Amino acid sequence: MAHRAEPPDGGWGWMVVLSAFFQSALVFGVLRSFGVFFVELVAAFEEQAARVSWIASIGIAVQQFGSPVGSALSTKYGPRPVVMAGGILAASGMLLASLATTLTHLYLSIGLLSGSGWALTFTPTLACLSRYFSRRRSLATGLALTGVGLSSFAFAPLFQWLVSLYAWRGALLLVSALSLHLVACGALLRPLSLMEDPVVGGPGAQLTSLLHHGPFLRYTVALTLINTGYFIPYIHLIAHLQDLDWDPLSAAFLVSVVAISDLVGRVASGWLGDAVPGPVARLLMLWTTLTGVSLALLPVAHTPTALMALAVAYGFTSGALTPVAFSVLPELVGTGRIYCGLGLVQMVESIGGLLGAPLSGYLRDVTGNYTASFVVAGSFLLAGSGILMTLPHFCSLASTSKPQDRIREAVETKVSLSKEEPEED
Amino acid sequence: VPRYINSFILNHSIFSLVPVEKNITLERPSNIELTCQFITSGNVNSVNVTWKKGDKQLETIHTNATGSILYTQYMFIITDSKQMGSYSCFLEEEKEQRGTFNFKVPEVQGKNKPLITYVGDSVVLICKCQHCSSLNWTWYSNNGSAQVPIDVQMNDKYEIKGTNANETRLKITHLSEDNKGSYWCRAAFPLGESEQRVELVVLSYLVPLKPFLGIAAEVVIVVAVILLYETHTQKKKKLTDDGKEFEQIEQLKSDDSNGIENNAPRHRKNESVSQ
Repeated sequence: MAHRAEPPDGGWGWMVVLSAFFQSALVFGVLRSFGVFFVELVAAFEEQAARVSWIASIGIAVQQFGSPVGSALSTKYGPRPVVMAGGILAASGMLLASLATTLTHLYLSIGLLSGSGWALTFTPTLACLSRYFSRRRSLATGLALTGVGLSSFAFAPLFQWLVSLYAWRGALLLVSALSLHLVACGALLRPLSLMEDPVVGGPGAQLTSLLHHGPFLRYTVALTLINTGYFIPYIHLIAHLQDLDWDPLSAAFLVSVVAISDLVGRVASGWLGDAVPGPVARLLMLWTTLTGVSLALLPVAHTPTALMALAVAYGFTSGALTPVAFSVLPELVGTGRIYCGLGLVQMVESIGGLLGAPLSGYLRDVTGNYTASFVVAGSFLLAGSGILMTLPHFCSLASTSKPQDRIREAVETKVSLSKEEPEED
Repeated sequence: VPRYINSFILNHSIFSLVPVEKNITLERPSNIELTCQFITSGNVNSVNVTWKKGDKQLETIHTNATGSILYTQYMFIITDSKQMGSYSCFLEEEKEQRGTFNFKVPEVQGKNKPLITYVGDSVVLICKCQHCSSLNWTWYSNNGSAQVPIDVQMNDKYEIKGTNANETRLKITHLSEDNKGSYWCRAAFPLGESEQRVELVVLSYLVPLKPFLGIAAEVVIVVAVILLYETHTQKKKKLTDDGKEFEQIEQLKSDDSNGIENNAPRHRKNESVSQ
C-alpha cells in the first residue's frame, strides 16, 4: 500500500470521528454512569460502599495503566484488530459480571477484564484520529470527545431504566450488549499508512525514542499536573455547594449547566485550534491558565450569580483544554509515533488523576472547607501551563510541522539511538 | 384512674369554619386529653358543645368560656385497640364547627416498587417503622388468595432478622420461580396491627438474554457491512489501479521500441492515459 505524504483531513476521517465519538461514549459514559449499579450492588451483596467502589476504581486504573499496551499493539498490528479485540474483552467482562456471585467476581470481570478491553480501545482510537487529520485535527478531536459528555446525560437514566426492568444482572448483560458496539467502532478504523511509518520502527524502538525526547517528557509532566487539578471540581463541586447551603435541585441544575458549557467548550476549542495558526500548545496554555484561575477564584464567590458565572467559566475552559491537549502530541512526536506517545501520556497522567481527589479530600478534612482544595487544584493547573511554555516553537508563528520535517526528525532520533547502542550494529 | 408510664397530653385548637382534622399516631396505652377552642359569634352561654366517637356521644366533658372563645375538653384513657378511632368535638350554632382527632397505630413502610431477582439468587425484604419503639413482626407469604405465615424453622430457605426492632428483614435464599408474588410484613402494637405489602418478581436468566442476543446479532451485521463495504471499494480501486499499471507498462514498451521519432503521438497518448 502506498504511504501517504499528508493525512487525509476528511473523507474516511469523518467515519473515524464517528467511531471515536461512540467509543468515548461507550468507555467513559459507562464508567461515569456506573453509580447506578453501585447502589444496587451494595444492597445485593450486602457489602460496604467503599468495597463496591473499588470495582470502578480498578476498571479506571486498568484502562489507564494499560494504555501503553494498547498503543504498542496498535503500532504493530494497526488499530483495527486491537480495538475490535478490546471491544470483545470489554463486553465479555460485563457479561461475566452479570453472572457474579461474589464481589471478587466483579473486581475481576468488570475491573480487570473490561478495564483491559477499554485500555485497548480508547487510546488507539484517538491516536488513529490524529493520524487522519492535520489541519482539522483539533476540531475532529473536539467533536469526538463530545461523546463523553453526551453519554453521561443519556446513560444514567438509561441504566436506571434497565435496572428497574431487569435488576442489576439483566442490566449488566444489556450493557455488555451495548459495549459490543465497540467492535463495530473498531471495524471503522481503516488502516492508514503515512510516510514516516517505516522510519520510526516498531513499538520497542518508538518507546525508547520517546523516553529520550525532551519536549515529550516535559509535556507529560505538564499533563500530569493538569490532570491532578482537573478532576477535583467534578467530585467536589456539589459538596462545596452543600457547604454553602444550596438546595439539591439548584446544585444539580448548576452541574448540568457546567456539563453543557463543557460540551460547548470542546467543540469551540476544537474549531479554534485549527483556525488559529502556530503551535496548538499556546492555546492549551491559554485554556489551562483560565481553568486554573477560575478554579482558584471559585471559593471567593459567595453570591449565586458569581458562582454560576465561575462554574460556567470552569466548564467551558476545562472542556476547551481536552481536544487541544490531544492535538499537541502529534505536533511534538509526529504521527508515526502517536500510538505509543499517547499510551505513555495516558499512563503517566493517570497518576495525577488518582492523586488529585484524595489530596483534595484530605485538604477538606484538615481545613474544614473546600477553599484550600480548589486553590490547590487551580495552582496545579497553573503549574502545568507554566511547563507548557517550555515546549519547542512556543513563541514562533510557524505552522505545524511538514511531513519532511517529521521524517527527518524521526531519522535523526533513530540514528542517535543506534549510536548510543553500538552493540546492536 | 390507672397511671401508665407513657401518658401525655394532646392540645389541639380549632379556629375556623372549615372542619379541621388531626392525625395522631399512638403505639401504646396512654392518658389522653383533647382540647378544642371555638370562636363564637353569639352568646357564649347559649351554645351547645358535644363530643362524639363515631355515633356515640361522650360524657365527662368540661367546657368553659373566656370572652368570645370557648374551651372544651375531653379526658380519657386508651388501653386497647377498641378505643382507637375518631373523636370529634362539635359546636352547634347557625353553622356547625367541628374538629376531629384520628387515632391510628404507626404505619409500616415497605418498598413501593416490586423487587426483581433471578432464579438461584438471594433476596432481602425489608419493612421499617420510623417512629416506633421495639415491635413484634411477623411475615406472611401469598398462597393463592390467603396469607400464609412463614415458618422459619421448616428449612434454611427463610431467615428473619430483627423481629424486635424498628426494622425487620426477611431473607429468602435459593429463589425459584414459585417464590414470586406478594409478601406481607405485619407489626403488632399493644393498640392494634399495621401491615405492608412487598412484591417479589423472580426472573429466569433467559429474560434479558433474548434482547442481548438480538443486539449481538445486530453488531455482527454492522461489522460485516462495514468490512464488506471496504473490500468492495478496495476491489474497485484495485481495478482502476491495475488498469493504470497496465497502460504504464504499455508506454514503457513503446518507449523502448520506438525511440525519439514518435514523440508527438506518444505525448498525446500520455495525456489521454493520465486523464
